[in-house]
Amino acid sequence: MSQINRVKGGLIDRSTPMNFTFNGKSMQGFAGDTLASALLANGQRLVGRSFKYHRPRGIFSAGSEEPNALVQLRSGAHQEPNTRATVAELFDGLTATSQNHRGSLEFDLMALTDYASPFLSAGFYYKTFMWPKALWEKFYEPVIRSSAGLGRLSMDEDPDIYDKGFLHCDLLVIGAGPSGISAALAAGRSGARVILADEDFAPGGRLNAETLEVDGMSGADWATQALAELAAMDNVQIMTRTTIYGSYDHGVYGALERCTDHLASSNGKPRQILWRIYSKRAVLAAGSTERPIAFGNNDRPGVMLAGAVRTYVNRFGATPGQQVAVFTNNDDGWRTAADLAAKGVNVTAIIDSRDKPAVCDVPGARHIRNAAVRDTAGRKGLKSVTLTDDQIIDCDCLAVSGGWNPNVHLTCHQRGRPEWRDDISAFVPGGTLPVGMAVAGAANGALTLGAALAEGRAIANQQIKDLGFTASRKAAPKAEDEAFECSPMWHVGESIKRAWLDLQNDVTVKDVKLSHREGFRSVELLKRYTTLGMATDQGKTANIPALAVMAECTGKTIPETGTTIFRPPYTPVPLGALGGRARGHDFRPTRLTPSHEWAKANGASFVTVGNWMRAEWYTRPGEKGWRDSVDREALNTRTNVGICDVTTLGKIDVQGKDAAEFLNKVYSNAFAKLAVGKVRYGLMLREDGICYDDGTTARMSENHFVMTTTTANAVLVFRRLEFARQCLWPNMDVHLISTTDGWAQFAVAGPKSRDLLRKIVDEDTDLSNEGFPFMGCAEVTVCGGTPARLFRISFSGELAFEIAVPARFGNSMMEVLNKAGEEFGAAPYGTEALGVMRIEKGHVTANELNGQTTAQNIGLGMMVSQKKECIGNVLSQRPEMVGDDLRLMGFRPVDHSLDVIAGSHFITKGDEANMANDQGWMTSTAWSPNLGHSIGLGFIKRGNERIGEVVRAVSPVHGKEMEVEIVSAHFIDPEGERLRG
Amino acid sequence: MADYTLTATPPLAGVDRSFGDLSLKAPADLALVSIALPLGAEDKVLKAIKTAYGAELPDAGKSVLSKDGTVRLVRLGADQAMVIFTHATPDAEPTVQAKLKGTAYTTDQTDVWVGLELSGPTSRDALHRICPLDIHPDAFAVNDSARTVMEHLGTLLIRTGDDTYLLLSASSSAKSFLHAMETSAQNIS
Repeated sequence: MSQINRVKGGLIDRSTPMNFTFNGKSMQGFAGDTLASALLANGQRLVGRSFKYHRPRGIFSAGSEEPNALVQLRSGAHQEPNTRATVAELFDGLTATSQNHRGSLEFDLMALTDYASPFLSAGFYYKTFMWPKALWEKFYEPVIRSSAGLGRLSMDEDPDIYDKGFLHCDLLVIGAGPSGISAALAAGRSGARVILADEDFAPGGRLNAETLEVDGMSGADWATQALAELAAMDNVQIMTRTTIYGSYDHGVYGALERCTDHLASSNGKPRQILWRIYSKRAVLAAGSTERPIAFGNNDRPGVMLAGAVRTYVNRFGATPGQQVAVFTNNDDGWRTAADLAAKGVNVTAIIDSRDKPAVCDVPGARHIRNAAVRDTAGRKGLKSVTLTDDQIIDCDCLAVSGGWNPNVHLTCHQRGRPEWRDDISAFVPGGTLPVGMAVAGAANGALTLGAALAEGRAIANQQIKDLGFTASRKAAPKAEDEAFECSPMWHVGESIKRAWLDLQNDVTVKDVKLSHREGFRSVELLKRYTTLGMATDQGKTANIPALAVMAECTGKTIPETGTTIFRPPYTPVPLGALGGRARGHDFRPTRLTPSHEWAKANGASFVTVGNWMRAEWYTRPGEKGWRDSVDREALNTRTNVGICDVTTLGKIDVQGKDAAEFLNKVYSNAFAKLAVGKVRYGLMLREDGICYDDGTTARMSENHFVMTTTTANAVLVFRRLEFARQCLWPNMDVHLISTTDGWAQFAVAGPKSRDLLRKIVDEDTDLSNEGFPFMGCAEVTVCGGTPARLFRISFSGELAFEIAVPARFGNSMMEVLNKAGEEFGAAPYGTEALGVMRIEKGHVTANELNGQTTAQNIGLGMMVSQKKECIGNVLSQRPEMVGDDLRLMGFRPVDHSLDVIAGSHFITKGDEANMANDQGWMTSTAWSPNLGHSIGLGFIKRGNERIGEVVRAVSPVHGKEMEVEIVSAHFIDPEGERLRG
Repeated sequence: MADYTLTATPPLAGVDRSFGDLSLKAPADLALVSIALPLGAEDKVLKAIKTAYGAELPDAGKSVLSKDGTVRLVRLGADQAMVIFTHATPDAEPTVQAKLKGTAYTTDQTDVWVGLELSGPTSRDALHRICPLDIHPDAFAVNDSARTVMEHLGTLLIRTGDDTYLLLSASSSAKSFLHAMETSAQNIS
């Protein structure tokens, strides 16, 4: 097919032809074309099928408001459905296919639905698919799902990459049309940092689409010249192919930059970038969108917005038809006729709904006054229109203009409501704008060129003066104010056939009337009942005419009827762009322990703990499952010696003259008199008296403490300590800094741990029980002089130490410990064996410190001192907390062959298993290889008085229950002889 | 002589890459020691710093080079600063402590952080992809410093030259940090 609809002129580069295919048909366009303009140039009017009735549809607009011309771009994994042909920049090799049809585009089997349209009115689904209930899941839903939606995803992973970023400016100018360029020029000349963003690849807005002059030259030339001036300014950044899609708090705007959508391949670079723009001020110069008039069969390919027809002819040198009629209710529509005629296109008639003389002379065109189109003919493309006086006019394109709506969308993103202006019959931005935003040009209701240019400059100057800049004195660019008088007309009442309001969702005038009849009269309900204004175009061309119809039904005015709220995004943002880099492994950062490489090389399986990757167990040859590994590690630690990387526990360096007193205030137990060289276990309470963290703190010197926290609460504890230091007790000399990542720390646990450490710790340290007793700590050296910290603390309940070296030596240290420990049967153990041993020992973790339990509950009531002032001790004495008799106890199954289940609830024998009889719950369970049966920890009422009692452990979730005996939580070495040995 | 010796393997050791005109490298043997100014005795520390380094400790958000240009002092807050210098052995903290003659509390931060130096005419373009701060040359001058979050990672950013930035982040997430920086450099080059 040749480019039969090309006309002279335009901003396309005819020396750069570009080949593309549509539904497999080869076509050619030029650089500077959009897919839509190239399709029109090739005479392709039918481009898709409508959403609900599968009606043939063509190109309706020339911008991002397009409701009809949605196509699938590219192929394979790169395939992107629901792309607006009107904003898809043509490139050589582009492949596009139409969507939403079964069979070919020309013969869509689903078009049968159009014949069933009398039954498919608004609310059809709600009314029809309610009964019989049984059919819903098995029949209705699959059928509806298979016919719903428009394009299809490839179902492959998106092979493109996306990025995001942050930009800052004094003034963000949204839209590079006449008012936007004028605003950017004014602000740029003043020296302010300006970002000028435009969704088009060729900035200029309507200047590129009109024949109007600015400063004595064509609008497009003026735009080119102005943009060159802006591009030469260091303080101005011009962002084309960039849509400002949302206005957020504090002058923050969301922007989507389409970097490579106009190229055949991204070449490994980001396809799109999602920018967050921090602006001090913003000028919204988003222009306006033309609105249609609804009449019978107004959805045929060839029925288009008049301004769009003008754009295709003037900017793209492509006429949408050879015989064009214009239907308008305003002066602006006349310019379409004039511009077409100037390009030699046959204009058959200008149908003006008003009874007024010709606005301008259009050679060869009939002027039909006080008339309207009530019907059209032509199944896959317009052939003629029928007027209200029944005369038929042959045409292959009807340019419709119902006036222009300012693009107020971004002014509403923070709940601003637009206001109605009678003189232009349109909503304009209301008084409540996002902080820092001002609106200029057509978006503000200044619908003529001269006014838009002047307003852009004035508003920008006002904005930058607010920021302390001196406005440039250079005058605003000059242009005439074109005629734009408009007499509202929303739909043609004489139409008998269906008249479309929302082309994208197949919502007709009749549907709105039905919605009114059935009581869905609020605009919000209207939208949801009819699907008006949903999907990719968000009703940019549909909303206002539909509101007008509803207003007519209710007898109210349009402003009384109101509008729905515009929310971000202004135009669709691909999920890929929202995801950006955060995909797969890069979804969040990963923290690795210092011994990660060694662990990887030695059979470790890893578990994610927050952002950390921790070894959960180390598989040895011959082990058939994780339990084999964990049992071995736990047994070996209690028999020989085990080594575990415990670096993930939070470490906070606390220094200062008041450090001891500070710790005394943040821990519930006494810390003021902890001796240098000693470690103490501490419990932290929230202000409300509930436990929130535990750990050990070592006094390295008089004014220097090293605190450890749980892995999960490392940041929380640090933050709360900073709050306490800075806000509660600012007069204390206390200083905090995190050293979590700085020290690789290893638990060396088991009866032979001392023997192992004697080989590592340099000889001048006495490791005997007397020289380095339980809960001792010291700065030592290891392996011939490397600085280290040694703590004699035990989570496993065995004779145990924790040794810390600078993190850079961590991997080496793990290797050395295992090597040196060979003769003692040393083996690494992971978090699972750690868990088994702590349950055997009755030590608590997050399962027990769950944010609802008290020190009393976990059996540490004595650790809440009432002799001092500390966080949480006052409120821990509330009667309801003191009276809470849940106690942490051990549980073992009466039948040792059974595994206890975490989450089971305890019920006294003989009682019914219900909430009223609930006695508590099982918090942690494990198989104890040392005891040879399953064990559990849990909270049970009056537990300390019920040792030996057998209760039911019921798990309705698993549908299981068993009898368990209440025992001490300390299954192993309850007297603590091992760890002190 | 001990039977075992420990080998240092800092997570980003040896990173030195180019992306077009951008260079990304991990400075070797970067040592960091934090200084806390004791309450009520701040003047003594400031004096000791001046004596030890021949430079005044600047205000928060600023950094300064020592007189001999080998040490960078970064003021992190009212009572906290960081001393950054090149030092291979694991005794950076006692070194600084000795220089300050016991006037300040010091903590070794060398292994807590990793550093990456980003340099080149497009360094700001790369940073725009991950750094939420305004790093326009006028807004973030040479020697300015700021703490922020990039790609979920706490980061200390210091402008050490016209187009050169030193970025410090936690050592446990060093590989994610490197990946974030490399991706930014890759995406703009």
